[in-house]
Amino acid sequence: MTLARIFAAGVALALLGSAALAQTITFRFNDPEAPGMRAALDDFEKANPGIKVTMQRASWGDAQQQFLREAAVGTAPDVAQLAFVWPRSFGGAGALRPLDDLIKRPGLGVKGWDDFFARDLAVGPDSKVYGIPFTTDTFAMIWNRDLFAAAGINEFPKDFESLRAASQAIHQKTGKTGWGFPAGSCGTPTIWFVLNFYWWSKGPGLIDLQPDGKYRVAMTPAEIKDGFDYYNRYLQEGHNPKSSLSFCLWGAPEIVEGMLGGTMAMASVPDTVAIEIITKWQQRNPGKPVPFATSPHPAGPNGSRTFFGGRMLGISANAKNVEAAWKLVQFLTQPDPLFTRHYTNYTPAQRAALDSRAWTPELAGYPEQLKTARSWGAYGTGPVAIPFMWNAVGRAAGSVFIGEKTSAQAAAELHDAISRELAKNQK
Amino acid sequence: MAAISRPGLWSDRRRFLTVALVPTFFFLACFYVYPTVFNLETSFTDMSLFGLRKGGDWVGIENYLEILASGDFRRVLWNTVIWLTLVGVGVRILLGLVLAFLLNSPVLKRWRLQTLARVLLIVPWATPPVVAIVVWRWLLDPRVGAINAALVSAGLVDQPIAFLAERLWVWPALITIITWNTLPLVTLTFMASLQSLPEELIEAARIDGASRWQQIRYVYLPHLKPAIIVMVLMSTFWTFNNFVYVWLVTGAGPGLYTNVMATEVYIQAFINGRFGFSAATGVIMATIMTVFGLIYLRFVAERELAEEQT
Repeated sequence: MTLARIFAAGVALALLGSAALAQTITFRFNDPEAPGMRAALDDFEKANPGIKVTMQRASWGDAQQQFLREAAVGTAPDVAQLAFVWPRSFGGAGALRPLDDLIKRPGLGVKGWDDFFARDLAVGPDSKVYGIPFTTDTFAMIWNRDLFAAAGINEFPKDFESLRAASQAIHQKTGKTGWGFPAGSCGTPTIWFVLNFYWWSKGPGLIDLQPDGKYRVAMTPAEIKDGFDYYNRYLQEGHNPKSSLSFCLWGAPEIVEGMLGGTMAMASVPDTVAIEIITKWQQRNPGKPVPFATSPHPAGPNGSRTFFGGRMLGISANAKNVEAAWKLVQFLTQPDPLFTRHYTNYTPAQRAALDSRAWTPELAGYPEQLKTARSWGAYGTGPVAIPFMWNAVGRAAGSVFIGEKTSAQAAAELHDAISRELAKNQK
Repeated sequence: MAAISRPGLWSDRRRFLTVALVPTFFFLACFYVYPTVFNLETSFTDMSLFGLRKGGDWVGIENYLEILASGDFRRVLWNTVIWLTLVGVGVRILLGLVLAFLLNSPVLKRWRLQTLARVLLIVPWATPPVVAIVVWRWLLDPRVGAINAALVSAGLVDQPIAFLAERLWVWPALITIITWNTLPLVTLTFMASLQSLPEELIEAARIDGASRWQQIRYVYLPHLKPAIIVMVLMSTFWTFNNFVYVWLVTGAGPGLYTNVMATEVYIQAFINGRFGFSAATGVIMATIMTVFGLIYLRFVAERELAEEQT
């Protein structure tokens, strides 16, 4: 009996001791820079000896539905990296913990909560905050100066028609691809972004918030059709080859290798992909001047409009160790050492930290584009989920590109589909 | 004495069988009956990916009405029934028959190539679908693919063909990949059936002056008929339900040109977030498969009855 008591006491002490020694939290990280993030987490563990962080991985393509499924059964990771537009719907779904009490504490970011970008996207339908903006980015155009010069063009086109003309001229004079945007279909196709850049630059977006607080489909089928026609002409005229129908992602090897091999004159990519292209080119051509430059997208009457994208951090509703999770969030929002040493290809989503990133001359187009980028706005706060619109727009454009549907038919069907979804969800 | 103990033995045996079947019924109830009933219930709700914790609201047959009224669904049904199943299974059965006859031919035996041919036949079957798809995607790639390189260098085409993204090519390419990976089982089944054909029957047909074609038509094919029916029905099950090939090869694209029922279920649930709608699509899919299942069971029952009678 005495032995049993001693044994039980020993086990209890060991359990208490281990609990006091280290708390383990999980962090879901979806970007490719896993070794850099692990090194940053090691720094965090050294600074916080009582906390161990297990890094989990998921692809961005699966991350949303995986997190929601896990949250529904209480097994989501404690802290998760989220897309900019997810916190609202995740908060509404009860998958994330409200952070209002935590953001009032000191130690968040460089200058506290008010200094973060895109705070509107972090707010749930119940007006509570569910995410902390982590990084910010946007798409800009990377272009090959040599190929442009070979076609007699010395500066990047400022409007969409000039861009198409330049793409065609480069193809005619050099035989190379002009703007080889990915025209393939998948759940998260690039065409969604470039179509929105076109639509936003010329007029309203797909969804808009009316003064009466209701959302509406803000574009006519004719305006939607105009976007389909614009990009379809690249394929019909042949300066974006039909092989572009076989890939859909902005960072696809076809894009990176096309730019590196000089077979593609320009691409619309986020800064991480531009850095990959430039770095690989320097590795393959040591000592030679980099032929690439970056510029904002062409402008329309509304200017050059890309989206203000990025990542957020959220704490799951099932997180047991909220204090440790919040310490990790605080650590991840400090520029040093995370953004200065480990995660250097990303920009913190805070005004005070924005200038801490040094842009190389080749990447000068990105800070310029960030100045005119817009928020997802009604797309993020409205009742039609972005993944629904993303998929629907991509599929509709795909059906036009392969000649299955006319642009007018696809535009009318897309308009109807989004209108139906809006009406249903806005009941 | 025996008359007294029989009921006791019988009831012991019944009790034992009942107890022995409990784990099976437990697993069937947990992993088959419950998900089926849950899916059926979900199909009458508006449950969404964002409302998993809350559950969905009852919408009656709204999801079913929307599906049946949708032009997209008619196309999905056409793709599933005609392209994926009818063409896919048809090509597999025809090629399977041709290959089985070739591999069973005396010529291969004479040249001692039969074993080698059979081993080569097994290779695609031994290749996991995901690996086969990755390899085929690479082969068909317009930029680095070996098939396009061969076509361009042979002067057969000027520009590489985006086999998996152009309307003209995408279904033939998809069916080629599925056929390559699944043909061996069909061929081996037909070969096994061919090898069980008594030599005397062929000999008798030959003595009666039957030509090679007449032998195939009146001796081989009637003998192969049960195997053909089983393979057609089984292949229909595997193909109609298949998600992996279409999703990993084309992602249901370009556009939604190759969208089939299994990919539609996935797209609606995990991309559009409409779990209720997706569940309703799944119920319709299962209902269609039940019809095939009943045909299969009837065929099996008839065959067993015929065997018992003979």
